[in-house]
Amino acid sequence: MNKTLLTGLLITILMLAASFFGQYFAPHDLSEHVSIDYLVDENGESNLIVPPLAPNSSYPFGTDKYGYDMMAKLLAGAKYTIIASLAVAVVRIAAGGIIGLLIGYLSKSKPARTDRVPIWNVLNGIPIFIIVWMVMIGVTMNPSASPFTMALILSVVLALVGIPSVASTVKEKTLVIREKQFILSAKSIGAGHWTIIRTHLFPHLKESFLILFVQEIVLILGLFGQLAIFNIFVGGTTMYFDPVEYVSRTNEWSGLIGQARNNLFINQWILVIPLIAYIVFILGFHLISIGLEKLYKQKFSKFSHI
Amino acid sequence: MAKVTRVSFIIVGILLFVLVFAMFPAVLQPDRLDGSLQFQWTKGLSSISGYFKGMAGGETFRYMSGTNELSFWIEIGRSFTVTFTYMMIGAVIGMTIGILLGIYFAVTRAHWLKRLLELTSVLPDFVIVMLLQFLIVFIASETGIVVFQVASFSTDEPAVALPLLSTIIIPAIYMIRNVALHMNLTLTEDYISFAKARGLGKRYIIFYHALPNVLPFVKADLHKFMAILFGNLFIFEYLYNLGGVTMLVFSNAFTREGYQYSLVVNGIFTLLLLYAIIFAVLKALVYGWGKVFAR
Repeated sequence: MNKTLLTGLLITILMLAASFFGQYFAPHDLSEHVSIDYLVDENGESNLIVPPLAPNSSYPFGTDKYGYDMMAKLLAGAKYTIIASLAVAVVRIAAGGIIGLLIGYLSKSKPARTDRVPIWNVLNGIPIFIIVWMVMIGVTMNPSASPFTMALILSVVLALVGIPSVASTVKEKTLVIREKQFILSAKSIGAGHWTIIRTHLFPHLKESFLILFVQEIVLILGLFGQLAIFNIFVGGTTMYFDPVEYVSRTNEWSGLIGQARNNLFINQWILVIPLIAYIVFILGFHLISIGLEKLYKQKFSKFSHI
Repeated sequence: MAKVTRVSFIIVGILLFVLVFAMFPAVLQPDRLDGSLQFQWTKGLSSISGYFKGMAGGETFRYMSGTNELSFWIEIGRSFTVTFTYMMIGAVIGMTIGILLGIYFAVTRAHWLKRLLELTSVLPDFVIVMLLQFLIVFIASETGIVVFQVASFSTDEPAVALPLLSTIIIPAIYMIRNVALHMNLTLTEDYISFAKARGLGKRYIIFYHALPNVLPFVKADLHKFMAILFGNLFIFEYLYNLGGVTMLVFSNAFTREGYQYSLVVNGIFTLLLLYAIIFAVLKALVYGWGKVFAR
């Protein structure tokens, strides 16, 4: 266990714990909000309280402009951010992994030469989040479906668009392992396809799957954020018309960032605090992925001559 | 199958894919009553046929911006120039810096630098843009000096420095990582230790033995590089409020009358054209690098 991995795990576990148990310790919850108030203390000094309140002792993360506690919002949204990203990553890895393994094992093709690329790749010019945007934009504004259903729909779409890339990565890796001697000897002593996949290919890909899983989580969180910039939030968007304003229904973190984009110049904590939470969460998973890579690299690697 | 027919098949396939893919917002609609998803395929198909029917009369190349009807051909020129400039600069400079710094990162002993790079590379593009904007706001509020404009507030005074910075940084980070990775792998090869044993200089080995063997990987990864460049384009045009192609398409995709199918299709075709041009330029650039450092 190295320090990088440990730090990453620590951050992730802390975040998970906060999202599930934080609501019991938080000073405020989502039902209470600060209303406009005018207080005069015993010295005769008057004080006008108008949300948004800057971070203070009672509201450590401040409040949003309607007076709701930012910490309560973050805690409420964390469940969506964490569970949705994990679930999408699990589906991507499971489906993409199985498809990639099977294609890689059964196909006749050799490992791809690195310098030939099909012209199909022009479609890379259309980024993934635009594809998701196209699918979701008609559905996501003021939906009558519940936030959970909307989060589910978005997760399914995100999982589907991510499966091909996982499958092709796994396929490439499988193609390399398939050529190894031990596969040949297993075949020659009469092992069936299923046995080879289960006892030879999969154990060699286990580490890759784990690292791929963590990297997918980071990618998915990035996609959440990019979609939120374009007002598609996990769990649906509430759109107010006069003036036009987009609000996340679930307080999911990337949604909080997306809806607070205008707070760049004033009341910046409304934007900064979700942004920091989001970055720390991503960095946690990133550290895990680096730590895992380091752990596995120690087993076998060559060293630079220079 | 001859190469020409194969390529033309694929091109038709790509065009069809764009046509089908752009009709999604028209097809996928929530039910007004219970919110369940509904697929209205006839609506999608009619928008495709409308696209082809409108070609002769020119309706395909007109779109509504608010309540004004505008011609796509007239408006696209300016947007295309904006997007093209930023993409070109980002692609060429980002790649050059990426390769040079990638070589440096592969041989440097400064591990904190590598860690910093890893950390920035994992942040999504919009976070980097927002952090840059924050930096400007922070400097301005501390010192009163507005170093760069945070975003374009009008077309007369566009923000230039910050968009340029982010259009270079984000693809460059990917390139640096990629080149450094392959450089590190190449430096473990036997021919490198052989060259070292012959007493060749470090710089010579890196540029004339290792780099020519890294460039094929750069070439193979060009499409991924382009994908990052284009994904980034959507984000930064939006966040910096630049009047490029993606902004033209996405700020006008939905109007009072509904979804403008032909505008979106035309816009995506424009982007694919841009993709082809920039890809060709980058390929030429890699080819040039290969020629310079060939022995």
